[in-house]
Amino acid sequence: MQTSRKIRRIALLSGIAMMVASAASAQEIKVWTLTFANDSANKAWADIVKEFEAANPGVTIKVEGRGTDEHKSALRVASGSDQGPDIYFMWGGLGLGGEFVKAGLSLPLDKYYAEYKWDDELLSPALSFSKQYEGGRHGVPYTFHGEALYYNKALFEKAGITTAPATYDELVADAEKLKAAGIPAITFGGTVNWHVMRLMDMILETKCGVEKHDQLMSMRVSWADEACATASFEEFHKWTSNYTLKPFMGIDQAQSFNLFLGNRAAMMLEGDWLVGQLKGENRTADFGLFAFPTGTDRLYGFAEYNYISTKSKVPDIAAKFLNYLESTDVQQKHLGDFGSISVNKNVKYTSTEPLDQKWIEIFGKFPSTFVNGDQAFPLDVTTEYFRVINEVASDNLDPKAAAAELQKFIGNRS
Amino acid sequence: MAVNISAADRHARMPTRSGQLRRKLQDPTLQGLILLAPAVLTYAVFAFYPMIDVIQLSFMKWNGLNADKHWVGLDNYRYVLADDPVFWVAFKNTLIWTFLSVVFPPLIGFGLALGLNQNIPGRSPLRALFYMPVIIAPIAVATMWRWMFDPFFGLFNSLLSAAGWPNLIQDWLGDRNVALYSVFIGYVWEVAGFSMVLFLAGLQGVSPTLIEAARIDGAGRFQLFRYVTLPALRPTITIVLILSLINSLKAFDIVYGMTGGGPAQSTQMLAMWAYTQAMQLGDFGRGSAISVVLLLITVAIVIPYLRWTLKRHEAYQ
Repeated sequence: MQTSRKIRRIALLSGIAMMVASAASAQEIKVWTLTFANDSANKAWADIVKEFEAANPGVTIKVEGRGTDEHKSALRVASGSDQGPDIYFMWGGLGLGGEFVKAGLSLPLDKYYAEYKWDDELLSPALSFSKQYEGGRHGVPYTFHGEALYYNKALFEKAGITTAPATYDELVADAEKLKAAGIPAITFGGTVNWHVMRLMDMILETKCGVEKHDQLMSMRVSWADEACATASFEEFHKWTSNYTLKPFMGIDQAQSFNLFLGNRAAMMLEGDWLVGQLKGENRTADFGLFAFPTGTDRLYGFAEYNYISTKSKVPDIAAKFLNYLESTDVQQKHLGDFGSISVNKNVKYTSTEPLDQKWIEIFGKFPSTFVNGDQAFPLDVTTEYFRVINEVASDNLDPKAAAAELQKFIGNRS
Repeated sequence: MAVNISAADRHARMPTRSGQLRRKLQDPTLQGLILLAPAVLTYAVFAFYPMIDVIQLSFMKWNGLNADKHWVGLDNYRYVLADDPVFWVAFKNTLIWTFLSVVFPPLIGFGLALGLNQNIPGRSPLRALFYMPVIIAPIAVATMWRWMFDPFFGLFNSLLSAAGWPNLIQDWLGDRNVALYSVFIGYVWEVAGFSMVLFLAGLQGVSPTLIEAARIDGAGRFQLFRYVTLPALRPTITIVLILSLINSLKAFDIVYGMTGGGPAQSTQMLAMWAYTQAMQLGDFGRGSAISVVLLLITVAIVIPYLRWTLKRHEAYQ
């Protein structure tokens, strides 16, 4: 009798244990992100996931990585079902990230921002994107990148340039000096539209200033009516005609980087991630770095975010994971794996690498940021912006007519 | 004489359900329908239904993310045909591409087939070699040709430079006047082997008796080709041309891989632009409208062909 009671008790306990186990295993978080080109990021992700799972028994993190276009397509397909991710990668800002927020696929995170005090812990420029959306805070910054001009020290010296330009006019004067010395001033890859776009974005900020630049990018004023917009396209054409390593419309960013490494051009407009690439080539000593002298107090850059899906059944644990990802210890441990700078403001920088130091100086110098065109515009306008820029760069469209051409497209939008 | 049939016999001779079914199953029409059913069902679910869905979507506004689809009538068509700065460029490129595709790959394939139909040493390996590009993934073909067209380190500019013709060096994929044709060269390399195989099969079907008879009648090489081989290859030529035409209208992967439609959308094609609108810009209505236009062009070409083949079939009956 007693034996059978014992057996019943054991069976009951086993049942409860199994139920607890199955409930715990139900706490699976699906994370959809990009496939990272640098292996250090992949290793860092694997470590972070393993550590979080160990600290949270019963929680499983399933990370799926895809190429950029495949990632966007997969998110669209998943949006119609319940099979999508709990956390998904997307850029910050109204362009790419905003599209998913607008479609109701991003959970407002105000509650978690307050609970985990992310505003106290993360960099303000990176956080600013989370405040741009209607209906609350969306997404958590994952990386923050700035873009500036890397230069070849030997080629600058050869052209007689001794100090980095402090103003835009000085930059143009330096480009002229390089041209006179038979050195192409800058290199771009034209097949990836966003690469050449960076130059146009910078010139627009320089020529139009902060307020007008933002009004143009948010399409609140007409590109056709703003003289600075037309002047920017003309200035942009001056660069692509006179100072850019040619031909560039048939090569991509990677080929452009190889040409930069091969001392074929003096400058490259790139992000902080280039330091890692230069380290990989053991070439950091050959290059210097300065912010594009726009004359405004804003740094050109963008943030990458992780958003929690509105369809997630485990938003609390998803937020907990994102908090772990952003935490000072984790960010300190994996500093440099995702970019030169961490989104966590408490991280200590100990690198003695001059380019890293320069980036930290640049990040500290600018109180605010302006974002790349492809993240400021809606997707269809971005595509047209790319087309107009490329038409001007390939001498197929009069730069005087370019701003009006872009406005024509904006005006025809429904 | 009266025949006594027992009740058991009568029962045995009564048509049973299984017997009726067996007899019905022997009906050739029913057999045909049963055999066709899985294919028809699969086709209906995976080809016909999506086609209808695309036509329906072309009259709607939908971003592919939320459930909010709304009817906009002909707005997508109006936008695509009147306001889209890329559509007509893509349309023109598709027409140029189609024209080139029905001329060059079949001609080269035909030449290769004629050569490789002769009893020459290494014939089989050569046939395999020329057919190989067909089985390589188009994106790999695109990558390979992109490397060869690289303006700084690519094979073509290096050869031109080494040959002392630097003035012929081009930005093969970056010059809008050249890019489409550069991509087309890669495409010809990729698909000419397909035409070659079809022509080789056609050449096997040319009657040796007819050739022998023509020879006895004193026909020369050209006359043999003109009056015996070519007429016998007519059905093959038709098939090759139609397949080349249909494949060229849906040109996508090699262009996507080599130029992505650039520079400045100058190598954009209709199929790729439909994909871009729907999957990258999130405008499924406009993407579908472009797909429907492409479908109409294809149908306008394929239906006359089907009518023509039906007429020929009836004539042979």
